[in-house]
Amino acid sequence: MSKRRLKFSKTGMGKYISHLDLLRAFTRAITRAELPVRYTQGFNPHQIITFALPLPIGVTGETEFVDVDFEETASNDEIMEKLNRSLPPDIRILKVGELNCNAADIVSAEYKIRIIAPCAFERDKVEEFYAQKEIPVIKKTKKGEKEVNLAEYIKSARIDEISGNEINMRVILAAGGVMNIKPEIMINKLEEALGMGEFDEVYIHRTKIFCDENGVLKEMY
Amino acid sequence: MSIYEAKFEKLLKKVQKPARYTGNEYNSVHKEVTEGMMTFAFCFPDVYEVGMSHLGIKILYHMLNERKDTFCERVFAPWPDMEDLMRENGIPLLSMESHTPIAEFDMVGFTLQYEMSYSNVVNMLDMANIPLRTRDRKITDPFVCAGGPCAYNGEPIADFIDFFILGEGEEINNEIMDVYKKWRGTSDDRNTYLEEIAKIEGIYVPSFYDVTYNDDQTIKSVKPNRAGVPEKVRKRIILDLDNCYIPEKIVVPFMDVIHDRIMLEIFRGCIRGCRFCQAGYLYRPVRERSVEKLTAVADSCIKHTGYEEMTISSLSTSDYTELQTLVDNLLEITAHKRINLSLPSLRVDNFSMELMEKVQTVKRSGLTFAPEAGSQRLRDVINKNVREEDLLRTAGIAFRGGYDRIKLYFMIGLPTETDEDVAAIAELAQKVIDVFYEIPKEERKGRNVSITISTSSFVPKPFTPFQWEPQNRMEELIRKQQFLKEQIKSRKIVYNWHQSQVSYLEAIFAKGDRRLCDVVETAVKSGCRFDGWSEYFDFDKWMAAFKENNINPEFYAYRKIGHDEVLPWDHIDTGVNKDFIMREHDRAYEEKTTPDCRQKCSGCGAASFKGGVCFEQKKA
Repeated sequence: MSKRRLKFSKTGMGKYISHLDLLRAFTRAITRAELPVRYTQGFNPHQIITFALPLPIGVTGETEFVDVDFEETASNDEIMEKLNRSLPPDIRILKVGELNCNAADIVSAEYKIRIIAPCAFERDKVEEFYAQKEIPVIKKTKKGEKEVNLAEYIKSARIDEISGNEINMRVILAAGGVMNIKPEIMINKLEEALGMGEFDEVYIHRTKIFCDENGVLKEMY
Repeated sequence: MSIYEAKFEKLLKKVQKPARYTGNEYNSVHKEVTEGMMTFAFCFPDVYEVGMSHLGIKILYHMLNERKDTFCERVFAPWPDMEDLMRENGIPLLSMESHTPIAEFDMVGFTLQYEMSYSNVVNMLDMANIPLRTRDRKITDPFVCAGGPCAYNGEPIADFIDFFILGEGEEINNEIMDVYKKWRGTSDDRNTYLEEIAKIEGIYVPSFYDVTYNDDQTIKSVKPNRAGVPEKVRKRIILDLDNCYIPEKIVVPFMDVIHDRIMLEIFRGCIRGCRFCQAGYLYRPVRERSVEKLTAVADSCIKHTGYEEMTISSLSTSDYTELQTLVDNLLEITAHKRINLSLPSLRVDNFSMELMEKVQTVKRSGLTFAPEAGSQRLRDVINKNVREEDLLRTAGIAFRGGYDRIKLYFMIGLPTETDEDVAAIAELAQKVIDVFYEIPKEERKGRNVSITISTSSFVPKPFTPFQWEPQNRMEELIRKQQFLKEQIKSRKIVYNWHQSQVSYLEAIFAKGDRRLCDVVETAVKSGCRFDGWSEYFDFDKWMAAFKENNINPEFYAYRKIGHDEVLPWDHIDTGVNKDFIMREHDRAYEEKTTPDCRQKCSGCGAASFKGGVCFEQKKA
């Protein structure tokens, strides 16, 4: 098995790197590192690189995954060391290893969210928001816009801390090929529902990705 | 960390393409500014994708950062969506690496690549809260300098620029920093620094020169207004290109920029002397880099960037004396690393299919040639030494080699041009199509031929033999475009042309003088910016700015100037004598061509630099 799974973080200004640009950044970093990567056959060969789940622009992450097809001659340690030297500073490889879950089985992801609002948060109101059974939102799709029920996309939500104008939450949202939603859509709805005015600062950080393997929920690692 | 960082970051979520502003690219330089260090804000007056495609900024950014005593940061013009947000939120123009306000820098340097970026230069100064006019700047304000091809006649923005840097920057940029280091803290008078650097060859301080005018609005004289300032400022060049700074760890952008590849600069200058081409006169004499040096640099650039594409950069690739050896060497490095090598600017007269075959392993789509004029007569006038038979022969080679799309570039509105010359453009394109069909089907791979004609409008440029020429009036250019369109009979020919309003403004500013500074400021205040972008270019606002300042733009663009008139740039010395340029101007009217520098020296004056092609061993 020569396919390796690389766990990486994308932080700082790196959150503004789009998915396509990230792919290019990885390709060039692998080239610079002179690692023995495998290329596709055919007219326009390219490195065999697959990302597990694209990170939305503006969101940081510490458990991102990319699968790369390396020759067996490259050890996991060597890949990690060389890539960390050749990647831009906002992208760091945290681990290189075997594949555990299949990216096609991804169903949800956990986000840590920190919001600073112009006035104090009220716990009841936030809990009320998450308790709703019907939250209609407009979701942009490839075909256009459609209305969906956001409540079905929120798998769980936990308030870690509220201190005055600041709230820290952990939310698990549907993600992957079947059902997927950007955390930004939920935040916008929350902002609207709370009626506290425009949030001053919003930080979204992806912490976990979950797969459903024959009905068993597993964390990707 | 700057106080604006958090505020600025918030805006990133609201703009298109935030990667234009985030920085932190691979090989970007970050430094902590400690006591005694100097800061340089390198400004490109256009959006990130354009600026990051430019070789000059990469050279000077990395070169200045090689200095331990200097931190050079990049600054690009924020796209209007970002500018609006920044102004609304009270955020001044910030540097890319550390998000520091530009006004806090020691030195602010602009590169002037095209006239249509002048509005952005002034707008960026305005966004930076730096007093626009040099006379209003205080000791705490940065020095604002500018280089690049338009700096050779920077008069239309002279009031905004403390000093211009003329010529190649590899040595002189270090010299101005060295002087600054010694000068800083020694005086409260900005002029004392400027007086010091005015002694450096290549530095032009416009405020040290007074311009007087005749009653007919022409210039009477341009004279230094103090001692110790040269009557004429001579440009700087690097004689030994093998032993000057060449960046190898160049910044690799995240986002797709226009030219996203390694640019290997093989030589500077051009031996040809096309009479419309400013670069061909400004960068004399031709100086080449050696094959050995270029091979080593290419190898190192590939290692340090991971780019998948490399291109050769020069004004005329085919004129590199050892092109074959160079390409062979480069292919040895690139081929097994899956790097595409491209060779732009090949000439039709010595086009070699073998060479093209070698470098074009994957894509085989279009080829571009620039005959510039349709008739042989007009090509002789402009000294574009390309013959019709060369072009047709080359087209034949290309068709047999599997190409089926050819782009042809021309100019309209060239001096002496008649409708016959314009019609000849269409005829030439038709002849290329005929070549395609004359080749037996089994000998050409392409089934369908397509020719694209693109015409730009001639803009007379300073320091060229056509600097005295008027531009065609807009109505005339539009008529010629229309006329050409009517001459095209084949559906296999597509015709594109440039907006004549942009060309008109280019002509005004290319040959403009200091009186245009007021116009630029008025235009910027009325909202002009990104004039090189059709979605933002606003011709009416520009015309209103001329009117408001009581300046007739036609005076600059449409007037035939006599050889004896004082030109706004006469006090700038590019090494090419004015006598020579006059001779070339006369020869154009005699329809006489001038041999290239390797065939025969025509005595332009550039030999005074004591190097380059002027002293090459003449081949037997």
